[in-house]
Amino acid sequence: MAAKSSAAAESTERAVVITRVFNAPRDLVWKAFTEPEHLEHWWGPKGFTTHVHKLELRPGGVFFYSQKMPDGRQMYGKWVYREIVAPERLVIVSSFADANENLARNPFIPSWPLEMLGTSTFTENQRRTTLTVRTVPLNATESERKTFFDGESSMRQGFGGTFDRLDEYLATL
Amino acid sequence: MVQQQTTSEQLNATFSALADPTRRAILARLASGETSVSELAEPFEMSMPAISKHLKVLQRAGLIERGREAQWRPCRLAAGPLKDASDWLEHYRRFWEEAFDRLEDYLRELQKRDTKKKEHKNGRKK
Repeated sequence: MAAKSSAAAESTERAVVITRVFNAPRDLVWKAFTEPEHLEHWWGPKGFTTHVHKLELRPGGVFFYSQKMPDGRQMYGKWVYREIVAPERLVIVSSFADANENLARNPFIPSWPLEMLGTSTFTENQRRTTLTVRTVPLNATESERKTFFDGESSMRQGFGGTFDRLDEYLATL
Repeated sequence: MVQQQTTSEQLNATFSALADPTRRAILARLASGETSVSELAEPFEMSMPAISKHLKVLQRAGLIERGREAQWRPCRLAAGPLKDASDWLEHYRRFWEEAFDRLEDYLRELQKRDTKKKEHKNGRKK
């Protein structure tokens, strides 16, 4: 299968990548990731309660949800499905939202990119599934890209080399 | 609310201060202890006014402090905002990592349920 040139360009771009191996077959992980009754059981950090308002699993369809944080505050989030290849690949555009499903700025850091492109890949090996979520800012301004990446690069990559001492220092705080 | 706004403004200032490689190098140097502006300027091929400008940005972002000694105003690291910024990025990762922790537990639960159903159906252990 020939990769689209945009996909190739996308893969060389800097991204935040989160990977986990689950002790479950791929079909099940896919279901847990794409069906509302399953998503409500796990989507969000510990102590968050997720309510699915809408989930349309088709290209252009919307997953709209609310999350109650441990401190009682409520926030809304939205994914728009861009590419669905069950059970191996899911491309979404994710964002914060208001109660009416409109795009919203990150309530905690306004210069965070408005939308992010997330590519999830599911691969199975002996009934274990590796799930990788790769996130890049979408249509971000230069300053939004900076907000997204500079912290990451200075805190992680940068410190890994010439910034070792600063890294050590931060660890003592 | 005011507190939250202040925090995000502070983070913006931190991030834009960190966006410049010279400023990151200055911070790295200060991590090994306080030093004078002229010592700081040494490794960079830059005029003192140019270095002073960088220091002002870092100071405004709350990343460094200047001593009060009239002649020798040493620079030192003030790591509070830096820690907030790294905490915030950690927070983003943690969001996913914690969700994946829950997904792990949930998948285990689902498979247990599934096995029980099969046992019930087949009347024997799998």
